[in-house]
Amino acid sequence: MMTLTQTIVMALIQIIAILAFIFMLVPMLTFAERKVIGYVQVRLGATRIAGGRTGLTGAVNKFMWWMGHFPVISFFRGLPTFMADGIKLVTKEDIMPAKADKFVFWLAPIICMVPAFAVFAAVAFYPGVLGTLPAWVPIVGGLPVNGFMTDINVGLLYILGLASVGVYGIVLGAWASNSKYPLLGGLRSAAQVVSYEVPLTLSLLAPVILTGSLNFRQMSVDLATKMPPLAILPLFIGFFAYITCGFAETNRVPFDLAEAESELVSGFHTEYTGMKFGWFFLSEYTNMIVVSALATAFFLGGHYLLPFGLQSFVPASWGWIAQPHLIFFIGKIGFLLFVFLWVRATLPRYRYDQLMSVGWKYFIPLTLVNLFIAGAVRFMA
Amino acid sequence: MSLLTTLIPFDIFKGMKLTGRYFGRNFFSANRKKVKANLKHITVEYPEVPIHLAPRFRGRLQMLRDEQGEIKCICCLACERICPTQVITIEKDRKDGRKLPFPKRYTFEMERCIFCEFCVEACGYDSIILNHQFELAAYNREDFAHGTEGEFQNMFKTTPVGTFSVAGEDDANAPHY
Repeated sequence: MMTLTQTIVMALIQIIAILAFIFMLVPMLTFAERKVIGYVQVRLGATRIAGGRTGLTGAVNKFMWWMGHFPVISFFRGLPTFMADGIKLVTKEDIMPAKADKFVFWLAPIICMVPAFAVFAAVAFYPGVLGTLPAWVPIVGGLPVNGFMTDINVGLLYILGLASVGVYGIVLGAWASNSKYPLLGGLRSAAQVVSYEVPLTLSLLAPVILTGSLNFRQMSVDLATKMPPLAILPLFIGFFAYITCGFAETNRVPFDLAEAESELVSGFHTEYTGMKFGWFFLSEYTNMIVVSALATAFFLGGHYLLPFGLQSFVPASWGWIAQPHLIFFIGKIGFLLFVFLWVRATLPRYRYDQLMSVGWKYFIPLTLVNLFIAGAVRFMA
Repeated sequence: MSLLTTLIPFDIFKGMKLTGRYFGRNFFSANRKKVKANLKHITVEYPEVPIHLAPRFRGRLQMLRDEQGEIKCICCLACERICPTQVITIEKDRKDGRKLPFPKRYTFEMERCIFCEFCVEACGYDSIILNHQFELAAYNREDFAHGTEGEFQNMFKTTPVGTFSVAGEDDANAPHY
């Protein structure tokens, strides 16, 4: 049994690991966004860094030029640009509008960002023990490290509750800016997120019905390994409903009406500069990771190889393939993040009334029907 | 059927397939193909890869020599007369072993040139062309006065600074930007 100190130190280790994961993944995601959209548009995206053809930058550029000779490696040319992104955000001047509500203006990015990070407390990256710490580590030496931070019974409820707090940050920031474009963007975002919260939750209820649990770890394991054959139907429909509503929840293209550049300058964060904008930016990308993690865990088989409950047909005697692995979870998250960028490069923005009609007239009935199917599958199994 | 097409967004999948194909084509190919016909992207990597311009591109004025190495120009002054900005000045001279006159001095002041190609059209002896050089910037004003001598201002050669804009031998087969 762990003492209180040991529990706290262990939680700190896990928090630092998860934060490092996020803070590494988000800049990589901005880089990948440029490259993926560039490649889709038959461009190259970022291939070099600013500087001459001599010195350090010249050597880096020469090396990246050489990288371009190899098919897949050439994608990673221009990787140092993500550091430039971070440096730019941190060092930029922080401007506040003269008539802005100072306190709310300052509070809004934090309200946006903290829930996005806090959600990871309930996400199980691996359903069991990842490994044991070596004995020489002070306080927590020799203790097992879990692949999840907390194992609360209402993990999904916690995630959904926190995820919907994020919209307050957008609305408050928009209002506090004391400017018309951010206000319009914030109002749009509020209406959009509130209406898409319903089908999002309904689509997540299908896995809840199928497993009879709200525990994230329990659900992700059961959804992969203990599903009846017919469960592929509600999981398949639910996946597409969930991922679409996830796009709307995270204000990503094609539902990025909150920051429609062509209409609202840049929506709710028009007046934000420097690192305050950076927190909004970070929270948006962290929300993308959250949506991908949830879709992976509940629909794509989580830590197991096969998606949509197909892993249930793999006998346990198959060894490595039948076991859960951290790399499968991370890999599926990576693929879904790529899908986010892929969709952004493909689909144009929806009109506002189209967005609302798709949400209310299409996704809510679809997810309700899906819920019924899931109930029938559960009843027959 | 129409209900099915309403429920399942086929068009979105079609679009995703198209963009995914373009992504894959670029992702699984090296960026810098020397064979331009197999190029998968339209980005020109400027300093490293020579660019292939359209054959009609109007670059810097260049004088030509014939097979014997003689100047083709016979000083008919057609180009000087037709030039709208009067950037060409020719000084006629004669020498032994050449029936027709040759230009002792052929001055081309590029700072005022508008690259209209009237001089090339007016030339009846195909002795001048506008080549494919577009990197024509210089630090000094004198460097824009081109003539028959010198290194950077020699009208018989392509400028040494403009190595990336010179079209290669495979120009005819290459796709143009």
